[in-house]
Amino acid sequence: MAINAQQALGAALAGSSARVDVDIAPRFKVGDRIRTRNINPRGHTRMPRYLHDRVGVVERDYGVFSFPDTHAHGLGESPQHVYSVKFSAKDVWGREGGERDFIVVDVWDDYMDPAP
Amino acid sequence: MASSAHTRPLSDVEIRVKALESLLLEKGLIDQAAVDALIDTYEHKVGPRNGARVVARAWVDPAYKQRLLTDGTTAIAELGYSGIQGEDMVVVENTPEVHNVLVCTLCSCYPWPTLGLPPVWYKSAPYRSRVVSDPRGVLREFGTELAPETEVRVWDSTSEVRFMVLPERPAGTEGMSEEALAALVTRDAMIGVTKLKA
Repeated sequence: MAINAQQALGAALAGSSARVDVDIAPRFKVGDRIRTRNINPRGHTRMPRYLHDRVGVVERDYGVFSFPDTHAHGLGESPQHVYSVKFSAKDVWGREGGERDFIVVDVWDDYMDPAP
Repeated sequence: MASSAHTRPLSDVEIRVKALESLLLEKGLIDQAAVDALIDTYEHKVGPRNGARVVARAWVDPAYKQRLLTDGTTAIAELGYSGIQGEDMVVVENTPEVHNVLVCTLCSCYPWPTLGLPPVWYKSAPYRSRVVSDPRGVLREFGTELAPETEVRVWDSTSEVRFMVLPERPAGTEGMSEEALAALVTRDAMIGVTKLKA
């Protein structure tokens, strides 16, 4: 049975956060240097390819969210921290990157490792 | 052959959408009134005027601005805006030192409750691929020239967090009412591709 107009609008206006209410200790803290993993999953992922194997700095911890790589395939929420990570354009693009340009990206815990 | 919009052939995407919609309706999976209600809401009721009110409030009320930058979701909800594609909001402030601009390189993530549905160019492959590699060049095409010393931050929306830019308040707007200020705020400035003028 299809949802009616009132139900559809109600759902849209209420929204549904992807936050997961579980207490998980963060693996990273603000200021930590991280390196993104060079991963190429066949299914859904939110790790942009241009940021594979790049070093960035954690700017903010958004808290615990479901993990699309598993959730999108019905394999569970795999709740984990999502961090705001700042990458320098020089580190991402090499010499073509602007000196004063940065890319700030949300990175799930499973997409990264500590960088020395 | 007539060239009016009413008689031009439908694009492949339009034909596909119509076919999908008819099938879903025929199979009873969706309700026509529900589809119409959603389209009406996001075409006529939810849009960048919402975001403009948030920006104007932040310009006139320093305590609100502080709350907005600390907890965007809650501060935006204070003005009555919340819902799908805006459940977890982060507002980033443009200043003379830092210019923020938004993109979703993976698809078209965009803060619906405050900005409505994304413009076509925001969803286009050229914008999505180029703004991360040459932000200053893309901004120049929007008529926005940044000083070399200004830091550019390109926010790539990869998660369920949605971003909105708090543009700089234009000079010469000191005595203006909140309502008049809101009228100055544009969608593009809240995406960060343009700056505002009084």
